[in-house]
Amino acid sequence: MKRYLLERTGQLVITVFAVMTLTFFLIRLLPGGPADAIRADLIQNNPEMSTDQINRRVEAQLNIMPDDPLHVQYVSYVSDLLRGDMGQSISQGAPVTEIIANAAPWTIFFIGTAVMIAFVIGISAGAIMAYREGTRFDNNSTVTAILMNSVPDYIYGLIFLWLLSYQLGVFPTGGRYSSSTEPTVNPLAPVETLTFFGDVLYHAALPITAIVFVAWGGWALGMRGNSIQVLGEDYLRVARLRGLPQRRIALRYVGRNAILPMYTSMLITIGFLLGGSIIIEQVFSYPGMGYYMIEALTRRDYPLMMGVFLIITITVAIGVYVADLTYGLIDPRASAGDSQ
Amino acid sequence: MSNQEALDPTASSTDPILEIRNLNVQFEMDRGTSRVIDDVDLDIHRGEIIGIVGESGSGKSMLASSLLDAVVEPGVTTGEIIYRSPDGESIDVLDLSEEALRKFRWEQISMVFQGALSSFNPTMAMREHFEETLEAHGYPVGSGMERAANLLSDLYLDPDRVLDSYPHELSGGMKQRALIALALVLEPEVLVMDEPTAALDLLMQRSIVSLLADIRDKYDLTMVFITHDLPLVTKLADRIGVLYAFEFVELADTESILREPAHPYTRALLNATPNLDAPLEEMRPIEGSAPDPVNVPEGCSYHERCPLATDICRDQPIFEQVTDTQAVACHHWEDIDEIPLTTEVDQ
Amino acid sequence: MDSVDILESSEAIETVAEETLSRRERWVLTIERGVLAPARIVWADLRARVGIIILSLFVAMGVIGTRIVDEPRTNQGERLEPAFQSFAHPLGTDSVGRDVLGQIVHATPNMLLMILAGGVFTTVMATAVGTTSGYLGGSTDRAIMSVTDIAMTIPGLPLVVILAAALTPTNPLVIGVILTINAWAGLARAIRSQVLTIRRSSYVEASKAMGMSTMSVVRRDILPNIMPYVLINFVTAARNVIFASVGLYFIGVLPYDNIVNWGVMIDLAYQGGGLQSMEAAHWLFAPLITITLLSFGLIMFAQGTDRMFNPRVRARHSTTTKTSDDDGAPSASPGDNV
Repeated sequence: MKRYLLERTGQLVITVFAVMTLTFFLIRLLPGGPADAIRADLIQNNPEMSTDQINRRVEAQLNIMPDDPLHVQYVSYVSDLLRGDMGQSISQGAPVTEIIANAAPWTIFFIGTAVMIAFVIGISAGAIMAYREGTRFDNNSTVTAILMNSVPDYIYGLIFLWLLSYQLGVFPTGGRYSSSTEPTVNPLAPVETLTFFGDVLYHAALPITAIVFVAWGGWALGMRGNSIQVLGEDYLRVARLRGLPQRRIALRYVGRNAILPMYTSMLITIGFLLGGSIIIEQVFSYPGMGYYMIEALTRRDYPLMMGVFLIITITVAIGVYVADLTYGLIDPRASAGDSQ
Repeated sequence: MSNQEALDPTASSTDPILEIRNLNVQFEMDRGTSRVIDDVDLDIHRGEIIGIVGESGSGKSMLASSLLDAVVEPGVTTGEIIYRSPDGESIDVLDLSEEALRKFRWEQISMVFQGALSSFNPTMAMREHFEETLEAHGYPVGSGMERAANLLSDLYLDPDRVLDSYPHELSGGMKQRALIALALVLEPEVLVMDEPTAALDLLMQRSIVSLLADIRDKYDLTMVFITHDLPLVTKLADRIGVLYAFEFVELADTESILREPAHPYTRALLNATPNLDAPLEEMRPIEGSAPDPVNVPEGCSYHERCPLATDICRDQPIFEQVTDTQAVACHHWEDIDEIPLTTEVDQ
Repeated sequence: MDSVDILESSEAIETVAEETLSRRERWVLTIERGVLAPARIVWADLRARVGIIILSLFVAMGVIGTRIVDEPRTNQGERLEPAFQSFAHPLGTDSVGRDVLGQIVHATPNMLLMILAGGVFTTVMATAVGTTSGYLGGSTDRAIMSVTDIAMTIPGLPLVVILAAALTPTNPLVIGVILTINAWAGLARAIRSQVLTIRRSSYVEASKAMGMSTMSVVRRDILPNIMPYVLINFVTAARNVIFASVGLYFIGVLPYDNIVNWGVMIDLAYQGGGLQSMEAAHWLFAPLITITLLSFGLIMFAQGTDRMFNPRVRARHSTTTKTSDDDGAPSASPGDNV
């Protein structure tokens, strides 16, 4: 177990460095060269600046010093990142970390909510399907799950947006909350806080539904398969013979044993949906991390773009790491050594 | 076959705890009705260990399940299984309501079956298995767990260690013994075991068998031990019934089965079963294959494989008493010594 | 490649096994088991048939359709002509009078090329990595799998976005590869564990004991066994290519100067009022329905081919192969170890 922990941690560290290295070199590949873009921009706006000053500004914004040897640039880039300095966003005029810190909670909020809802729906549906295996309900649900799962979330998003926001006007067409609502999170002002939360949910409802539409089917099919397997196990027969109540068999035996193997994949899915949020946030003009990544891309704001990429990737890597390590704690079977 | 007197070879000591009458188990299949238990009668005496022996596909697992009315869907169990509790009450197991059946199982008759190694919930510690069983039947958990610990000790297991383990942390033999303890935690009268040792190695099989004999004496149990392994069950059982093609062909005390088996199939089984001491060349496989439950041969179901078979075997033989303690269903039981016994099984 | 193989394997055959089938017989057998038998099973399944018909439709659209339907030009018709109104523009026109059907049809070849590139890249890469890793084992295996795990951890879409930004690809083949840049990792892991299972099976051990070279064992014993598995993952990869390419064209990450993708259509319709006004709805919905249909076809195909994994179903359908059901057969049925 110790050995596994060590290996796994080593792998996480390597992953993080690999991603940093990748961004370091990709920045140099970007069209027109970001340094040139920034330099041109600076010269245009600050004609009085000296070359030296400009170079220092470029360095501050990009985290790179174009004239140093590559390895020096690399070391300085990585050490800046490790100190939490991701440079300055050109388009937003603020430090990259600040913009991400502002955007990330919104992405995590709507993705997290969507995954939870999809998980609950999927698990329940899957369990019922397994209990009624072979019935018409099971067949219809299976087909529905497969079909809904086979359409990308942004297509649902576009259809919702067209129908519910533009044609029927019952949902907002974008944004985090209404401009008329004052963001309030204050226990002393419960009415305003609740109004604010309600408004936030109202704005996030369509993106969340779009993700749920896709994701529930996957969970349902997984849960169905696992449950059918558990229902056929010897220990289930023994549990029935022992006269355990149905409720306990459903929860403690079927439910638990079927859900546990999905724990890792749930954490991983959250991570990957963070990455997948790029397109859905664009559809709903929802200013989360993915939205800023594309904004940065179209405005050639490379520090921000790479910053978002790094944060998403490292979050996913840590999520998978945590999932792998904690799985052994929640499922005793995993420590048996057959986790491969 | 349904001649009742004939069925009670050990009539002298009669105090049946279970009386099985006209027991049938059927499965409806596309190609016809599959009768996997065909009109079986049997008395099981209080306090005995009865061994039931048969090839795979002879219906012995179905017999075991039907004692708890636990034949898997879509099997249909009909007939009577009368259970006489120690206080003199009689109930028909197959007539119980769902809730009564739930309580009956494990409190009166419990069962250890084939998949012993996977009989525990892999995500639950052993202790919880015992506790939930006690709770489900409304038994006090404190004294129940003391009894569980004693049972585990009787089975040569370290109670604390076992109870705190997860199933995968125990070896096959340990799990098997823990399952026997779990089956006895509600102090049932009858323990049905369906191939309880099939997945274990030979040494472990022998030691579990000797443990079972001790347990029976200590807890006044009635045991039904179902197996394909005739030599193994002779080490334990008081009486042995031989199942062939979904019905009994011979039922006798163990001594008679070993010394003078009266049915050709019993002889064949004895000659075919590997004995550690038997020279290889003396072991004979049984020719032919077990009958199809949809299409059992007319008359004596064994006649197509039987070396003694004659025309008369096309008629159904009656199950007749040949000695005080032995009954057999064979037209030729008087000529049975034409099939010599090659294996000497000592008890 | 063949000449090397003849030297290699004929030597092995002569020295150790007279009963090995001739090359020709082996090929017949391989084709039978690898292509014809699966094809029969697949066709017998309704879902697979629906899938195949839909997929064929798209291939036909990409190959023949482009010659029948005119390439979209501005002012082909009125602006924002609605759908199902005229034979000239069955799906209507967009805001500059381009035929919507023409746009759908003429974006198809690019999409097919992308799918092909992505699918081939993913499966070839994964098969190569997975079989090598699983077959060599030991420290090589551990090293390869570490890299694979890292590749698997990086979320695909953000990586694709920065790669697309850095490389600004326009060639559909290149885009296909970029879109599936780390999709091989998961498949490689799965293939590796397949290989590990197969490697332990008796007939592979027998081949090794007979002194056959590693490569010929991989090609003769291991590849046929994992082919069905690879096929199904090809379909998954294809689906991902469609979703990602349309999505990235839609949000403007992939550069375009022409309507090369249905995603471009969605982008133009989205910006051109496809959401707000009913008059432009057909322009938005045509590509949405197209993508959904193609995805549906792929999923039906995948569901149908799933049956190939069931050895019992396979056995019932492989009527023409009676020759070598004995154990030493060089290419056992691919379903056996799945």
